[in-house]
Amino acid sequence: MRRRTTREKRILYVKTSLRWLIYYLIIFTEFIYMTTGTWLKPIILLPTALAIAVNNNQYGSVVTGAVCGFLIDIACGKLFGYNSVLIAFFCIVISLLFELYLRNKFINYMIITAASSYLQCWLDYKFYYQMWNYNNVHLIFRRYTIKIWVYTVISAVIVYFLIRLVNRFLMPKKHLSIEEAIITKTQ
Amino acid sequence: MRDFIKSTRFKILLAFLAFLTGIMIYAVTKGGYSISGASFIQTITKPFRSFSNSIGMKIEGNLDKINNADEYYEENKRLKAQIGELNKQLTEYDALKAEVEELRKFVSIKEEHKDMILSQPCDVIGYTANDPFKSFTIDKGRADGIEPNCPVATAEGLVGITVEVSEHVTTVRTILSPDLSVAAVCSSSPADSGIIEGDILASENGCTKLSHVGTNNKIKPGSLMITSGSSGLFPKDYPIGTIKEMKYDVSGLSMCSVIEPCADITRLTSVIVIMNFNGKKEASE
Repeated sequence: MRRRTTREKRILYVKTSLRWLIYYLIIFTEFIYMTTGTWLKPIILLPTALAIAVNNNQYGSVVTGAVCGFLIDIACGKLFGYNSVLIAFFCIVISLLFELYLRNKFINYMIITAASSYLQCWLDYKFYYQMWNYNNVHLIFRRYTIKIWVYTVISAVIVYFLIRLVNRFLMPKKHLSIEEAIITKTQ
Repeated sequence: MRDFIKSTRFKILLAFLAFLTGIMIYAVTKGGYSISGASFIQTITKPFRSFSNSIGMKIEGNLDKINNADEYYEENKRLKAQIGELNKQLTEYDALKAEVEELRKFVSIKEEHKDMILSQPCDVIGYTANDPFKSFTIDKGRADGIEPNCPVATAEGLVGITVEVSEHVTTVRTILSPDLSVAAVCSSSPADSGIIEGDILASENGCTKLSHVGTNNKIKPGSLMITSGSSGLFPKDYPIGTIKEMKYDVSGLSMCSVIEPCADITRLTSVIVIMNFNGKKEASE
């Protein structure tokens, strides 16, 4: 890779810091939204964590996933750490998937987010309702879990474009040397 | 001049002046009422005077605006600031009024249940996201003396129980949750008792469910269910909710009913935590 000049390094540092700052501002705003009102809401922090994981390395992704998970636990009154573990795991897997196998496309992100959020909602239903064998527990799945999942998938569209907008301005572009470009091209 | 004084014209004028003076003296004797002639003139000229007066006033007003614009501008600014200040005071007054109303309700609880030790009124910070049983968080915690498993109530009735206590925030599980069971008796027929426990179907309408009631009970729709106090978790005789309709449960061996809580659990703004009461079972027990 081409060696960066001091000025370029400084710009990269500022842009990266700013990008993460905005990510966390978005996360904070979404958390506030999740704790407001009594209506059904999407688990909007999940698609956000995944959208960040798609474009960043595993370390950043796993920390963000854990933070989002903790916030979901607080907002949804779940066992502190339960969603954190789950979403951190999703973030690692997704970060790796997009790094090694998948292209950074909207449709790929939506499929992955739909699958992950379904799994999260389903596990939530299993552990918090079905396991305790309440009367008419299937109604929770039909009237709450499915709706929340659908809302989460819809919210993922907005989240994806929001994170993409941030990345467009603040994500450092890859600079390849001529040799690297030729190698990439021939591969 | 001498010619004028001697002339008839002068005499006529003098006579006219004397006539006017006579009228004046006559008017004085009327004691404040107009004489008929004056009254007639007043009546005839009234519309014209009104019209001309309105035009005059408009012109005067416009001239006044132009002449005293600066003064009015300053006065307007001063009055606007005054209105702002009064509105602020009004808002504060409304907030204080609402607070006093709330406190008055809580004082009534204390008066009715002298054995209870109540917390300060707690504001509801927010409801737990996507919880079908409407659990919520309040703005008081361990620092305010709140412990887990303390009953939470409003002046209207029982709301739930504290489950997760942080330093300054506490999560409350409501009576809509199937995880919370409250032993209850009917206030009108204390021999009829049952268990109030949340139900998924009932919780959709902000209601809970009474079950395990004997079949030969005297409970009627509208009857008030109160806490029995037998568990040691809740104080005795605190209102919970009213019966909607009694029916047999699935087994047919007992009866059950949907209960409409006395407090509207889906729209709470402030609650109190009952920190101690007669007959409270300690956590160690």
